[in-house]
Amino acid sequence: MWQWFHRWGSPKWFYDLSGRWLPWLTGALILFLVVGVVWALLFVPQDYQQSYTTRILVVHVAVASTSLAFFPIMAVAGTITLVWKMKMADMVAKTVAPLGAWFSALTLASGSIWGSVMWGTWWEWSDSRLTSMLFQFFLLISVISLRSALNDSETAAKACAVLSIVGCVNVVIIKYSVEWWNTLHQPASALSMNSGSANGPAFWVPTLVMVIAMYLLMAVHVMMATRNEILRRESRSQWVQDLVLAAK
Amino acid sequence: MKPHRRKRLAIILFIAAGLSVGIGLTLYALRQNLNMFFTPSQVAAGEFPPGREIRIGGMVKEGSVLHADDSLEVRFVATDYASDVPIHYQGILPDLFREGQGIVVEGQVDRAGVLQASRVLAKHDENYMSPEVKAALDAAHVERPGYGQVSEGVPDGT
Repeated sequence: MWQWFHRWGSPKWFYDLSGRWLPWLTGALILFLVVGVVWALLFVPQDYQQSYTTRILVVHVAVASTSLAFFPIMAVAGTITLVWKMKMADMVAKTVAPLGAWFSALTLASGSIWGSVMWGTWWEWSDSRLTSMLFQFFLLISVISLRSALNDSETAAKACAVLSIVGCVNVVIIKYSVEWWNTLHQPASALSMNSGSANGPAFWVPTLVMVIAMYLLMAVHVMMATRNEILRRESRSQWVQDLVLAAK
Repeated sequence: MKPHRRKRLAIILFIAAGLSVGIGLTLYALRQNLNMFFTPSQVAAGEFPPGREIRIGGMVKEGSVLHADDSLEVRFVATDYASDVPIHYQGILPDLFREGQGIVVEGQVDRAGVLQASRVLAKHDENYMSPEVKAALDAAHVERPGYGQVSEGVPDGT
């Protein structure tokens, strides 16, 4: 088990493995994204209260639930950086942060559009779900800024790791904000297998397709960006120079 | 795992746990401020800051909506099925506003106990279903708390 764990710490091993996986993941991403978006925006049934506005839900929920994964991923990577000083973990932490900021921004934007139609307001400062999500966006921006503000890459890695672990607390707050306090935002839906009841498969199956598409998007992005990061940081190593020479 | 790594991991876990407890206690202390609105029962019991803008959340009571004939003025009652708060509002209501619907109203409670609203927002619940499913459930008399019956028009205000 430890051998397997330490193999992930090798940039070359990651580079070779991701090179083999990327075409498959990209293919799966395109498939799920096309099916998900077309299904979400054209075929999801209307809601008895909200009519076709619920189609925003499919996109919003997919983006929002994925955005909650970023801090836990960065915290795990950060813990590995702090405890085992594995460079690969820090590279993943670095590449995943900007995407997390994008996902948080898209969550806020899609939610705002939905809210403007249904609630009658774009934004409510008093709603803890909304403000905690905005806080996550700012936290991710601060992780990115912190890294670029510190010149020494090892110090930057440690500082970002600590901030990422701290940021996980906010994920819990976002998740349970709608249960702990009263909010304008509705709580999470209880899914139903029965097509004759509320939240039936007609709503959650396309949402699930979109969620899978978003995680595939994350995986593809992280792999591609981490490969770039590997080439940048390992540019002096023999295998990268061989690779560049072979490509010429 | 080597001892120095185990020690570092223990320190991280300890800090994370301590931080969680600290933030948890802070949030617990702030719990009323983190709520978006007061319930009609809290308003009835006087548990709100007087003379300040407050928000209350509840349902639009069935049969309580009175529209003025010649203006955007509207009177209705917000309820949590335990206490009622009369509301007076002048302005555009959100599309989802209807009897039995969850709403959040912002405004000041006047001396007569009427909330003079400056804003009315609509809440919707987390149960999504097509009109056909809703009709079938209604026909089967499936009653669940929190569901709004779609009202067939509103009283004419006379």
